[in-house]
Amino acid sequence: MNMNNVINFDKEKCVGCKLCYKSCFIDVIRWDEENKKPIFKYIEDCVHCNYCEVVCTKGCIKVVPDFKGELLHQTFDAYK
Amino acid sequence: MKNIKCDEQVLSTDILIIGGGIAGLAAAITAKETNPDAEVLIIEKQTCGYSGKANRGGGVLQYFDFDKVKPIEFVAYHANAVGCFLGDQEQMLKYVNMNHQMIDKLKEWGVKVPYNEDGTLRFFPTGPMTGMIGVDLDITIQVRRTAEKKGVKIIDKVTISDLLTSEGGIAGATGYSILDGTFYVVNAKSVLLATGSQNYRVINMWANGRGDGIAAAYRAGTEMRNAEFGNFAQLFKVKSHHELVFNENVLYNSLDENITKNFRWFPEADISSTAVAEWYNQISAGRGPIYMRPEECPLTQGDEVMFTTTKMWNRPYGLKLWRTIYEKCHSVDTDSEVAPGFLGELSPVKVNHDMETTIPRLFAIGDVSYAGSAVAGAVPAPPGRNRGSGILNAVFAGIVSAEKAVEYAKNIETVNVVKEQVEVCKERAFAPLCRENGITAKEIIQDVQAIVAPVENSIYISEHRLQVALRKLEKVKDKLEKLKADDYHGLLSCHEAEAMVISAEMFFKAASLRKESRGWFLREDFPNTDNENWLKWITVKNVNGEMTFGEEEVPIGKYPIRPRG
Repeated sequence: MNMNNVINFDKEKCVGCKLCYKSCFIDVIRWDEENKKPIFKYIEDCVHCNYCEVVCTKGCIKVVPDFKGELLHQTFDAYK
Repeated sequence: MKNIKCDEQVLSTDILIIGGGIAGLAAAITAKETNPDAEVLIIEKQTCGYSGKANRGGGVLQYFDFDKVKPIEFVAYHANAVGCFLGDQEQMLKYVNMNHQMIDKLKEWGVKVPYNEDGTLRFFPTGPMTGMIGVDLDITIQVRRTAEKKGVKIIDKVTISDLLTSEGGIAGATGYSILDGTFYVVNAKSVLLATGSQNYRVINMWANGRGDGIAAAYRAGTEMRNAEFGNFAQLFKVKSHHELVFNENVLYNSLDENITKNFRWFPEADISSTAVAEWYNQISAGRGPIYMRPEECPLTQGDEVMFTTTKMWNRPYGLKLWRTIYEKCHSVDTDSEVAPGFLGELSPVKVNHDMETTIPRLFAIGDVSYAGSAVAGAVPAPPGRNRGSGILNAVFAGIVSAEKAVEYAKNIETVNVVKEQVEVCKERAFAPLCRENGITAKEIIQDVQAIVAPVENSIYISEHRLQVALRKLEKVKDKLEKLKADDYHGLLSCHEAEAMVISAEMFFKAASLRKESRGWFLREDFPNTDNENWLKWITVKNVNGEMTFGEEEVPIGKYPIRPRG
């Protein structure tokens, strides 16, 4: 929601196993049926759960969390 | 109102299961085992096997050694120390009695349950009466495979947006594909809601608990219960937002005072809301920041001892995930400063001992009805201060409900859906797509988060703060009719945002009614437990569009364990 997580994807290594698409529990990733590759379409909703990175059989994905942007929403300003 | 042009799929099944997490899967398999000829369909919003929570948490199952503890002894301990007499003791006894049967079932369904060399279960003791077993995080992948082998049909990437009722009972549901908007009308004899809790999207681990199943059930008129129990906060490291389980006893303020040393007595269940309240009080008094010293706690000296070590259980799938997460967290955790992270988790759909709601043949299982079932009483979200009971509560509910759902499906004729109702649901579902301009779901979601997430509004509450929160929420409610979506992903976000508002309203209003503190529920203005007036459950129901509240006496006279005096 508030974060600017970055998802680095190495297209050359991808073999189209579709596990990243399946593993995303909040619809960040869509699937390009024609080219058999993931589309990281809704990155603004990514919560850096790291599942896509971990299930990828070829190590194509690296999720870079935006820790500073993630809010805990506690009242005291210092506590993000 | 523009006419939405989209494909339509009309389906018919005996048993519709909404949500393919561990509860939905357990129910689906049990239904097929009970009657292999029953048609069982799971409709899942994302991808069944990877969705839900069972594959993202600790992967722990509660274990009772019946050679050492009798079920009634645990129920007695729980009623006194955890559920604080607000729990349905009969249901808790049933849950405890089924412990070994459930673990055996999971094993049968392909879950890797750990054993010692001598064939005994490899469990870790968590108190004099309980233990926990670690299963790997591919649990739902295994169980999905089993479900499919048994003939369960699964549809992924379709969200159910409304329930259909007819002749006083459930008739089915409507929904749409989040990929291409195909509208689904499903006719079913029994419907099992297994859609999880409302998490408010603050902490990432449970960020998929969107509460839209709760909202659909609320709109359909089913009763809710214990909406004031559901909010949970865990202490997290400020920089990485990584949780620190078991560290509550080693928290220090800026004056080097241990602020929670006496809040958690062994064998006390788990983090208490008083620890969270203490954080708030210390910060309010200017004695922050608060830091933890894990090296002082035997359980956490080794850092993430439960997860990144293979000493206890062999869990390669989970280990890969946990190590990846911890490595990234360690890179930013330059200190051990902590703050509460809010884990929403409203789970209020009321159910009876068969997990049936107040709408005939509509069941609610797993996290969506954890509080609503009253099984654990005055506790927060699963595992309700009772580690290892989240997954098993879901399996318990799945098994129990499926048997009843199959019975219904056998004995009744298909109930026809009402065409006009379908049209209303379709229009409601697609409305945000039809607006020319409006506001985004993100705006609503952030508004609600800012109101519910501060622990002084959700965990350590007071009448004043609740009323301020409700006034702010009213302003957010006024914005809902302006929600606009550009595609089906955005459409789902809009409905999830609406569900968040309903959940928050239910919580604040129910919490305002309970004028006492009990178990996890903590009020600054009513600090004592009042058994004379508050051995009751608060119920919520949508009556002609009005959120209406009621009370139900806890039948404490029927239960084996009662409060003294």
